[in-house]
Order: sequence, then C-alpha cells, then structure tokens
Amino acid sequence: MTITIQRGEVVEVARGSQRRYAVPGMGLLDSLGVVWKHWRESFRQNRDFSDIHGTFTEQYPDERPNLPEAYRNMPILLYDDETGHELCTSCFQCQRICPPQVIHMTQAKDPTTGKAVPSVAEFIIEYDACMSCGFCAEVCPFDAIKMDHHFELSTADHASLTVYKQELNRPVSYYQSIAPTLWEEAKAGAYKKLQGNIKRRPDVIGIAPHLVDRIAARRAELAAAAAAAPPPPPPATTPAAPPAEARKLTPEEKAAKLAAIKAANASKQSGATPAETPPATAELSPAEAKAAKLAAIRAANTAKQAGTAPAAEATPAPVDEKAAKLAAIRAANAAKQAGTVPAAEATPAPVDEKAAKLAAIRAANAAKQAGTAPAAEVPPAEPAPVDEKAAKLAAIRAANAAKKAAAEDNETERN
Amino acid sequence: MYDILDGLINSTFGWGWPGWLISLIGYVLVATLLFAVAPFQMLFFTYYERRAIARMQDRIGPNRVGPEGIFQPIADGVKMFTKEDIVPDAADKWVHLLAPIVVVAPTMFMFAVLPWGPGMVPVDLNTGLLFFFAISSISAVGLMMAGWASNNKFALLGAMRAVAQMVSYEIPAVLSLLAIVMMTGTLSVVSLINAQGGLFISTSDVAGVPDLGLGWLIFTPVGLLAFLCFFIAALAEGERTPFDIPEADSEIVAGYMTEYSGMKFGLFYLAQYILNFLLCAIAAVIFFGGWQGPGVGWLYGMAISPTNPDGSWIFNLLAGMLGVFYFLAKTYFFFFVMIWIRGAYPRLRVDQLMDFGWKFLIPLTLVNVFSAAIWVAVTSWGVADGFGLVEGWSPMLRWGVAFVTTLVVNGAAYVIVARIYNSAQAARNRLDIDELRESLALPR
Repeated sequence: MTITIQRGEVVEVARGSQRRYAVPGMGLLDSLGVVWKHWRESFRQNRDFSDIHGTFTEQYPDERPNLPEAYRNMPILLYDDETGHELCTSCFQCQRICPPQVIHMTQAKDPTTGKAVPSVAEFIIEYDACMSCGFCAEVCPFDAIKMDHHFELSTADHASLTVYKQELNRPVSYYQSIAPTLWEEAKAGAYKKLQGNIKRRPDVIGIAPHLVDRIAARRAELAAAAAAAPPPPPPATTPAAPPAEARKLTPEEKAAKLAAIKAANASKQSGATPAETPPATAELSPAEAKAAKLAAIRAANTAKQAGTAPAAEATPAPVDEKAAKLAAIRAANAAKQAGTVPAAEATPAPVDEKAAKLAAIRAANAAKQAGTAPAAEVPPAEPAPVDEKAAKLAAIRAANAAKKAAAEDNETERN
Repeated sequence: MYDILDGLINSTFGWGWPGWLISLIGYVLVATLLFAVAPFQMLFFTYYERRAIARMQDRIGPNRVGPEGIFQPIADGVKMFTKEDIVPDAADKWVHLLAPIVVVAPTMFMFAVLPWGPGMVPVDLNTGLLFFFAISSISAVGLMMAGWASNNKFALLGAMRAVAQMVSYEIPAVLSLLAIVMMTGTLSVVSLINAQGGLFISTSDVAGVPDLGLGWLIFTPVGLLAFLCFFIAALAEGERTPFDIPEADSEIVAGYMTEYSGMKFGLFYLAQYILNFLLCAIAAVIFFGGWQGPGVGWLYGMAISPTNPDGSWIFNLLAGMLGVFYFLAKTYFFFFVMIWIRGAYPRLRVDQLMDFGWKFLIPLTLVNVFSAAIWVAVTSWGVADGFGLVEGWSPMLRWGVAFVTTLVVNGAAYVIVARIYNSAQAARNRLDIDELRESLALPR
C-alpha cells in the first residue's frame, strides 16, 4: 500500500478489512505469532535492512560503524598534502553562516607590511556548541572546511572542546579516505583556487604550522631565491626593511608622497627656492612614518610662528596620514603667508628619516632666508640620522631657526 | 532425607540422637538449600528475560559481562547492594522496612510444597495446593504496606492496584484449580503429579495405560481450559505484562516500589521473580505433570522409595536428574511464554483488567468446574453414586465420552462467554466515545 500525500490533502488510509475470527481470541494468537517470528529470525543478522526481521544491532566498540560518505559530525580544516598549504583563505564565509556562531578566525597578515594575506592565522571552533549542521562546509568556496566522520569526542574537561587550528588541520588525503567521491567532485576547483592563493602568500604563511619540516624547507627555498635575486635597489633602505618586492604602496606611503608633492608645489609657487621632491620610493616602517610625520608637523608649526600673519588654523593632533597631509599643506600655506620672502617650505610627511631630515633642513633654510640676518647657528648638515630620534632633532632645530628668524624679522619691522 | 540422616548419624556414627533433632537438621538443610537456589533462579530469570525480550525486539540484549552476558545479573546484584538505602522523611519507617520482608517471606514459604523431582519435595503436605495459594495471597499485605508506608501517591496507587488485582485474580486461579482438584481428588501436590502418569490419559482415569509420564491434565478439555484461565490469572498475580498495572512505569513511576532503593528494591524484585518462577513451576506441576515425563517413572520404579526399599541408589540419582530436568524445562518454557506475552501485548487499563477478571475468567472457570463434575461423574462414578448409566461401560469408553462431552461444553462456553464479553466491551467503548464526544461538544 503506497500513499502519496500532497500538501493540504486529507488522506484516509484504508486499514484493510478487519479479520473476523470464528473463535474469539484467535487474534491474540496471531500477535503471538508475529512476536515468535521476530524471536526466531533474530538469530540471523540483518545488516542491510532488507527485512523487518533479524538483528540490526551493531556491537559498536567491537564493530566500527560503516558511515556513509556524507555523514557529518564536526568540521575540520584541510591542508594540501604536497605543499602543506592550508586551503582556508579566511574569507569568513563559514563564520558568517554558522548558526550557533562557534567559528572564529583571524586573517593572516604579512608581518613586514601589515597587509592581509589570503590565509588564516588562527581558527577556532567551539565543538561543544557546534550543532553539526554542516553549513560551514556547504558555504566554503575553497573546500577548506569539511565535515569529519570522527564522533568520539568525549573529553575530561570543557576547555578541550574549544578546538584550535592545530587540532582542526587534516591533510586532504584524510578527507579523501573518508569521502572519496565527494572529494573527487570538489578536487579540481579546490586545487585551482589553492594554487592562486599560494602565489599571494609571502614567506611561509599558509603552511600548516605543525609541518615543521615543510616550513623549514620552504624557508630554505626562499633564502636561496633571495640570494639568487639582485640586491635590493635602494641602498638607503634600513636593514629592518624587507627585501624589495614588486608590490603596491600602502595608503600611508601614498599619502606621504602626495603631501610631499603638494608641499613642493606650494613652495615652487612661492618662487624663491627650487623645490625638491623628496624621495618617496623608499619604504618605511610605521614607526618611522610616525616620526617623519611628527617632524613635518613641528616644521609647520614653526613656520607658522615665523610668519607675521597669524596662522588662523589650529593644527589638531594628527592621528594618521591624512592629518599629516593636512599639516603639510597648512605648513606650506603658513610659509607662503609669512611674507614677501619665500617662507619656509615645509616638506611634510617625508617617507623616511632622510626625507624628514631634508624637510627639516629646508624648513630651517627657509626660515633663515625669511630673516634679514642669516641664522648661522644651525648646523648645515648632519650625518644621516638613522632613526626617528634624529628626525625629531632635525625638526626641533629647524623650528629654533625659524623662531630666531621670526624674532629678527620683528625687530626689523619695529625699527 | 530423614532416613538418610538417621542412617548416617545413628547407624554409621552410633550417636543415638533423638528423632526430632534429626528431623530439624534435615529441614534446616533443605531450607538452606532452597534459600540458596531461589535467588539463583531469580538471577537467571532476570538474565533470561532480558535476553529473550531483546531477541523478540530484534536486539541482542546484555552480552558484555562474561560470555554472552551470563554474569550480568551478578553485576546488577552488586549494583543493588552498593546503592544507598533511602527512606523518605514522610514514610512510616518501620512499615517501610518490614514491607519487603513481608513480600519476600511468603514466596520463600511456597517452595516448601514444590516437588522438584520424584521424591524430591521438602514437605508433602496433603493440602499442598491450598497452602501454596493461601501463602501467595499474603504478599498482597506486604505490597499494601509498601504503598501505604511510602507516603507517596504513586506508591499508594500502585499498591491499591496490586491488591485489587491480586484479590480479583485469585478467584479464577483458585476456581480453575478447583476443577483440577475435583478431577484428581487430591490437594497434595505430590499425588497430583502421580496422577499424571500414563500416555495422554491419566492413569487415575484409565487403569492399565503404559506409564510414559505423559498423562498430563493439559490433554483433557477441562485441564486445557483450566490451564488457560490459570495462566492468565498467574500473569496477573505475578504482575507480568499485560497485567503489570501495579507498577506501570509509564503511569505511576514504579508503583509500590517507587520510594524504595538499594537492596529493599532488590528484595521486591527478588520476590517478584521468585513468584514468577513459582507460578510457572506450579503451572508445570498441575497441568504438565511436573517432573513427569518419558523415562522418569520407569527409572524411579527401580530406585529406593518407600514402596520399593530394595532399589538401587543410582536409579534414585538418575530419576532425580531426569525429573528435575523435565520440571525445570517446563518451568523455563512457561517463563518464556510469559516473556513472549510481554513482547506481544500492551498493558491493560484498570477497568479492562477488572472486566476481564470478573466478567470473563470467572464465568469460564465456573463452567469449567461444571465440566470437571461431568468428567468425574462419567469416568469414576457408578451405581453406588447414583449414576448407573455408565456402570457397564469400559474405562476407555467412559474416558472418551467424558472427553467429548467436556470438550463440547467447554468449547461452547468459551465461545459464548467470549462473544458476550466482546460485544459488551464494544458497547462500552461506544458509550465511552459518545460521552467523550458530548464532553467535547463534537458532532456525532
């Protein structure tokens, strides 16, 4: 008897004609017969569910369950067997879709540039709250997260059910062994995407951390490549700077360059001194950039003080490269306003300490020129300062010079 | 037993102890033996039931402790002994303590009249059957004590149900036994078994039948109907499914055992399983000849017995072993039937249980008593009893006429009573449904 039920349809099931027994109580014997048959047949194994009789019991610790491929228990992360690269790119898709929100991850960053890399730094799944829905595996565009067949997860303490990347990582070959056809379907796309991602992963980022020898091998490979390659082009780069690679400028660098150009333009317009564009190609660490910014601001402030016209705009404490840019522009303006004489062109936001020094010197020179008496105290040149301290010093000196020039200026006016 | 001990102590050692002391030693020995055997029967039954019911439900059952799980009941026993004994604050402490004892003790007494094999009966009381059923009723007092002393609504409900059920179902049990007692003319369990020798015909009805130990009362229509009624009543008395409403776990937790834990609970369990064993055993004894079976009578004929003091002791041993084997095989088969019924039928409602006992079993057993009277009249009466019609008939003819007559009477009675009962139940269900519809204001 097959019944097809459609939505909204009321189905009345005919139970068949009720058997009438000539002798009452025979129905009871029938039911005893059913139970007898079950008892008799229960000595036979029935594992393929082909019959309603027979023992279905799987004696679990002795017999391992034969799980279907699509069985899902808890999510795991895959890494490639050959390269050791994890398939995960920390796209956050799984974290977004996870209904109980038990997936947490951090994207890997290039330690030298702070740039995001398509790889995962840490990946945490709270197995205790995971509901094994498998959405994460469904949604993963890189086939990096898959559902495991391992179900014996009992632990002595609660904390060990918070699982980190170290314990989540499984080789692709493991997943292939538990779900061969499923992996066969996903394989081509997953490897293609992985190859693309490996190219965007600098250094050893993205290799499963427990594969120590793999990482060492990759490091050696990288070192060999670096030795073979030509030395880094700008000799001025500090030893801390990473090997020069063809890459885009960070927004900070861009902003610094822009500000410098603007300042130069402004001074050009003011006429007297030829503007030099500060070197902008060199890299700088965040700390250096900060120092350069500081120097620029100070230069600007002094230039403002040097000017007869009061600098109306207060320079708020700049917190980022935008502010630095602003400060540079303001400095340039202040210098322009400072008088007929070419004002101190502040070259703000230089991109390294050399540039900062240069800017300071220029500011000092401008200030000096602004005054009638040249300030002789300022040392004309210094050995190339190597850190932000030196840059600061240069800036302070520039400021002093500018102040002096301004005082002299005032005197002449009074006279 | 007395003779063996007497021979050992007075003849072999020559101590000259008095007869009462030897009797006392003999009874103490037998009692000790039975008190050791009874818990083992219970342990075996729990394992047996769990394995059998598991098979009926397409499972395997306990198979972890020992080979095929045979030591599972031992593990359960250890668990029971190590559990904390909790007595509720509101309970009547002394009655709560005494109740399991009052329940267990009568079941142990019942072993006194149970014959295990030829000549292997602790006491051959001439009112053995009466003793058996009188004692078995006492445990109802214990159940009531347990339910009342627990001061728990479920326990009280369970106890009430248990007592009502036991009192109701003693009647059909005893009435069906009454028919047997009329047929065999004895209340002694031992002579009841002796009457069941022969070959499909009891030697007490027809003399000269070869003794193959198969003249079981189940082969007579009276015995068959009596057995059916008795077994159903025994299910109710032993609180087995489908009559396990006193401890219906889905309704009233565990009935009168709700507030018991540890070994006190274990004692209730023990009592229940020993009672089940005894009911199966007594069913085997009364209707299936107890230790009677092919070969036992022949072996026992050559053994040392009061009628044959010159026998050989080896035949005592052989007859005893074979008799105990037959007896236990029958008993265990009946327990299997109990499990089988548990696997097949759902639990009855209280009103259905009462209806079934009072409106179906009691009328049927009363008719059966009437049939038994016909049987006795046709097979053994004569002119002296005012029944001259059968005087000249041969024993076989008498037996045949009695068989056919009682078969017709019992069959007709069964069909008629069952039909009436069926229609009464159906009408009652209809009334119930009508009432339900009215209370729910549903259209008819």
